[in-house]
Amino acid sequence: MSEPELATPFRARAGEALHDGFLQQALTIATTKFIDLRREAFGEFPEGEALRDRARAIKEATLQRLDHYLEQLVDNVERLGGTVHFATTPEDARRIILDIAERTGARMAVKSKSMATEEIHLNDALEAAGVTPVETDLGEYIIQLAHERPSHIIAPAIHKTKGQVADLFSRELGRPDVPADPEVLTAIARAELREKFLQADMGITGANFAVADTGTVVLVTNEGNGRMVTTLPRVHVAVMGVEKVVPSMTDLAVFLAILAKSATGQKLSVYTTLVRGPRKPTELEGPDEFHLVLLDNGRIDQIGGTLREALSCLRCGACLNVCPVYRSIGGHAYGYTYPGPIGILLTAMLNGPGSVKDLAHASSLCGACADACPVRIDIPRMLIELRKEVDEKRIAPWTERMVFRAFAWLLGRPALFRLTAPIARLMQRPFARGGRITRLPLFFGEWTRTRDLPPVAARTFSERWDDLAREGRR
Amino acid sequence: MSSRAEFLTRIRGQLAKTPALFTAAPSLRPARPREVADTIRRELAERWQESLTRFQREFERVGGVLHHVADVQDVPAVVGRLARERGASSVVAWHPSALGFDPTPGLAAEQLTVHGMPDVLPDAERRRALRETIATTPLGLTGVDAALAETGTMILRSGPGRPRSTSLLPATHVAVFDRHALVESLAQVGVLLEAWHTEEAPGAVINFITGPSRTADIELTLTRGVHGPKEVHAIFVERPIGE
Repeated sequence: MSEPELATPFRARAGEALHDGFLQQALTIATTKFIDLRREAFGEFPEGEALRDRARAIKEATLQRLDHYLEQLVDNVERLGGTVHFATTPEDARRIILDIAERTGARMAVKSKSMATEEIHLNDALEAAGVTPVETDLGEYIIQLAHERPSHIIAPAIHKTKGQVADLFSRELGRPDVPADPEVLTAIARAELREKFLQADMGITGANFAVADTGTVVLVTNEGNGRMVTTLPRVHVAVMGVEKVVPSMTDLAVFLAILAKSATGQKLSVYTTLVRGPRKPTELEGPDEFHLVLLDNGRIDQIGGTLREALSCLRCGACLNVCPVYRSIGGHAYGYTYPGPIGILLTAMLNGPGSVKDLAHASSLCGACADACPVRIDIPRMLIELRKEVDEKRIAPWTERMVFRAFAWLLGRPALFRLTAPIARLMQRPFARGGRITRLPLFFGEWTRTRDLPPVAARTFSERWDDLAREGRR
Repeated sequence: MSSRAEFLTRIRGQLAKTPALFTAAPSLRPARPREVADTIRRELAERWQESLTRFQREFERVGGVLHHVADVQDVPAVVGRLARERGASSVVAWHPSALGFDPTPGLAAEQLTVHGMPDVLPDAERRRALRETIATTPLGLTGVDAALAETGTMILRSGPGRPRSTSLLPATHVAVFDRHALVESLAQVGVLLEAWHTEEAPGAVINFITGPSRTADIELTLTRGVHGPKEVHAIFVERPIGE
């Protein structure tokens, strides 16, 4: 399936975002608010820091015996009357879900927000097979109507104004004169989607966690759509990455204590839904069939790979909000399903290092993401590893590789390196204006196209260091 | 398409390749969760007032409304008032065996039509009709299996006589509990969940409900009742239910 944004290169996509006044404003407001809410939530929760370490340890411990916990999960789900499917590729996952739809005669599928189903581009496949997919998370519903893609992991439509949403609803739902009032817009979506929930044959969800010991799939939502899609349709399909399994209910309680605080600053999201297989025989409601699709899509290869740490990600979005790059360009500019710092790593995991030759550099390596991550994933370390890989596998352009190689060679020869300061001072003369270098010639100009360089100092550090020695002051 | 065996073989191959990033173990679990859960409940029942105060503060923070009554006999009057204020004339309720008391006569005295949920499975046609009833009734009355003070969360297990959508489809959800439901922390909820899973569950779903359904997806403006209830009320009954 194609990645539509990729027709234009990353730099052009980022440039476009930087010149979008509304997007800039929306990003600043949203990310700042999320940062404040998160800080406040952890501020009131002193045990939070220790729980973050605990959560990370659980994730690592689970990975170390992933085969064991997955087997346990699969056995339990099957014992409860559910069916487990194994999908190595997105094609596998789509085929599995389409087969279920075909066999059960499903014509409409209601979906709660799931990054895993975004990742496998499920909606296009369902539509092509004659099954109408309906996104029911309000943000996802809006972008589905607009034929766009999510721009934030947890707030998919933050790039849209209420005016744009009102216009969209008027046009797509055939309702004239929709006011640009979030309250009214939400009420319209409630009415439209309530019908769909009651009509749909199939409910499709992701999974925030799956508990191996009990065979439970856990869904966390604020709107209640996760409950609707697992209660009303006769078939429930949950799609989850293999890394989402946790050993026990005791472990789950640790994650629940930090997930919502990191994502939205809530102590808990409004609904946490624990689903164990299909409806029990004596229960009035619930699906007759329950399917769990376990998704690999590049994850398994990273258990022993450089991106292993990224397998601990909870998809909370905290690293997006604090990232100076995400805050400037938003989610769409990244061009793939997962934006932000963690998104770069996940994109490399899913699509290979070639997909991130530009994105690997879309980070200032400031470390804010690692600080914000509830499970303390060292994102900057892995970004550096990716840059190295992109270089070693000759995916980066030869000019870039040559410049860095020459630079490394020079840094390894101090005597030669010292000579570069006077040479650079001489050569920068035509370019330094008002204490900045704003334009360089040749391909060096690529660097200065979007940023200024400070000129080489009149006396460099090593020169001044030598001065001090001469003056006998060190 | 892959099989379970292929998946596990590949995972084991990867695991053999890599040493652990660091020494780590999953959480220590209670050996006898039922006993620990009972002890927690007993201890907490003695200082229920503290827990209730905290529950109330957190529940109100997320937009819930707490009502405090002396006895279960007082519950129908509160439900009746809520219904009248909202122009509602009917209520769907969990089966008396799931609630721990029978609200039907009291609610009838409040001029409310009560749709009680059966505790045995009816035939397919009746099931469809009941779903229609729940979807069109403005008030849903349920019990609570645990009320978590730390976050203002009500935890409800599904099962016979306790359909999942009673707390989901009606615009107003009213839940009744007493001191025995109160727990203080998510860690204690972890113990409860372990305990509940030591025996065959009555239903397939456990729901944590923390206030009314909400969204902030349009310009981060907080809006209530996007899919689930617009309002959530809790009625705390001071004299333990069934005593």
